[in-house]
Amino acid sequence: MSQPVIEINNIVTQLSGNLIHDGVSFSVGRGEVTALIGGSGTGKSVLLKEIIGLIRPQSGSIKLFGEDVWAVNEARLMALRQRFGVLFQDGALFSSLTVEQNVAAPLHEHTTLSPKECLELARLKIALAGLPTSSWEKMPSELSGGMRKRAALARALALDPELLFLDEPTSGLDPISARAFDRLIRLLSDSLGLTVFLVTHDLDTLLSMVNRIIVLARGKVLGQGTVEELVKIDDPWLQDYFSARFVEEHA
Amino acid sequence: MTRLGYTKKMAKPSLLLKQEGGLAVIFATGSWTLGQTEALPALPDVSGGAEIILDGGGIETLDTTGAYRLMSMMDAAGVSPERIKLRGVTPSLLPVWNLVAKNYSQAHGITQKKTFGLLYQFGLGSISMLQHMAGVANFVGRLAMEMFRLAKKPGSFRLREFVAQMEAIFIYAIPISMAMIFLLGLVFAYLMGVQAQKFGANIYVVDGVSAAVLRELSPVIVAILVAGRTGAAITAQLGTMKVNEEIDALSILGLSPFAVLVLPRILALFIALPLLVFLGDLAGLLGGMVVAKTQLGLEYSQYWDRLDSVLKMKTFLAGVSKAPIFAIFIGLIACRMGITVARDARSVGEHTTSTVVQSIVAIIVLNAIFAIVFVHLGI
Repeated sequence: MSQPVIEINNIVTQLSGNLIHDGVSFSVGRGEVTALIGGSGTGKSVLLKEIIGLIRPQSGSIKLFGEDVWAVNEARLMALRQRFGVLFQDGALFSSLTVEQNVAAPLHEHTTLSPKECLELARLKIALAGLPTSSWEKMPSELSGGMRKRAALARALALDPELLFLDEPTSGLDPISARAFDRLIRLLSDSLGLTVFLVTHDLDTLLSMVNRIIVLARGKVLGQGTVEELVKIDDPWLQDYFSARFVEEHA
Repeated sequence: MTRLGYTKKMAKPSLLLKQEGGLAVIFATGSWTLGQTEALPALPDVSGGAEIILDGGGIETLDTTGAYRLMSMMDAAGVSPERIKLRGVTPSLLPVWNLVAKNYSQAHGITQKKTFGLLYQFGLGSISMLQHMAGVANFVGRLAMEMFRLAKKPGSFRLREFVAQMEAIFIYAIPISMAMIFLLGLVFAYLMGVQAQKFGANIYVVDGVSAAVLRELSPVIVAILVAGRTGAAITAQLGTMKVNEEIDALSILGLSPFAVLVLPRILALFIALPLLVFLGDLAGLLGGMVVAKTQLGLEYSQYWDRLDSVLKMKTFLAGVSKAPIFAIFIGLIACRMGITVARDARSVGEHTTSTVVQSIVAIIVLNAIFAIVFVHLGI
């Protein structure tokens, strides 16, 4: 087994006096699709921001590709950031750039490719994300929610990352678009050998495309494993979370 | 190494054309990734055969960028991706190749963007100008309807919002507007004093300062100040509310955004601006008084006596009466620009800038019209 891609050790986070994480530890291996779930306010998004180096935890260590995100210098962190892509919840596309400019932006910044090559590669990523050619020159404000997510995915894939972070990838999408998005992520992670780490509430996503689930509750990791393994854990929130769905399916 | 910062030891990519029993075979080796993007020598033209064999046995790593570059180099040599026969590639790299091959044609070939001539731009500009004017008419019409409704039911006036706006537009603007006009009065009196002293006409500085400050300086400068300060704030606030769908939410709750947001602001401006101009008048006269004492040796009592005899009520009224008109224009422009923001951050910035520019232009043009009208009326 090679070195894990994400390694989180004993994270403690306190935000404005509230203890959010009280010793969170887990690791994610290469090529895995892992989901982080938990009730509202359990600090899923905060944890994601800590992993990608935006919020500093009070203590504990977060390693990506074996390097401590919060111990390396600025230059190493920038280099590290080129190895992963992030899909923010509402896409976070730059509103003053067209879709193709949004996707080409990281290529312009971090490679020495010619503008034409950047644009071609950007269009390839847009095609991979399943957007039609007509979307190339649209502004983000002209896109539907689902298209915005796809454009943001194309931007996250621009630098051919090894690791992809998704913050609620299917929130705000209709069930059909959400399943299509799940299939797309699965296809990309299988074809490109991506490691995917996502925060989600979507049970269908968990059932259809995720290898492993990590449950966050009361500041700790409550459990991890597949859906079948998790339903055996005796926790009221977890039972509620899964029961609705299973009752529905077995009725 | 072209990818900044992140280095991995990888073999350089290369492409080689060899003949193999009369067949052209292209050998690709090395790592084809985003980290290895230096230019490679182009392949000779091999477009002749039906299929070209690409031996990928030597490819160490492959990502979408590398696969795309490989395909576009083959394409440049006359072999489109569907005509490439792949052999010897590590099975784990095949999905990447297939995924890119499937999407290659969509990305390849950047077509020149169509450009349009001067006439087209002119037409586009004219249409957007017409749309802008129609938008203004629509806005004013809706506002008039809202005022009519308010007149029938005065109890529905948003008093709390109005008071909050008065605080923001009037109270907090007092120090800055008084300080500005004080300094302008000071400078104006000083420059006039330098000339007047030559003729021993020191006392006439009072006539000049009072007329200039009350008729022109105070109304125009205070209005420009309010356009920059309050106009921009109104557009940015309403625009951000639009982006957050707060304005839609108001409508859904059965509240008219015009009644809740626009009317209180315009009314507050309408009342606040004349008051600010009045305070500006006082500050400007004080500024003149300081210079009159220190530079021209006029006592405060002399200054006030002269002011009392030369300053006519109509001079003051001519200045202050312009303020409500300026206020209405600032309010209309700022609110309309705020409400018409598109749903993105750039639009908020553009509209805010536009508000300030439009307001200041409107103030200057209106002021010129007032000047002409006042001359004809003999004021």
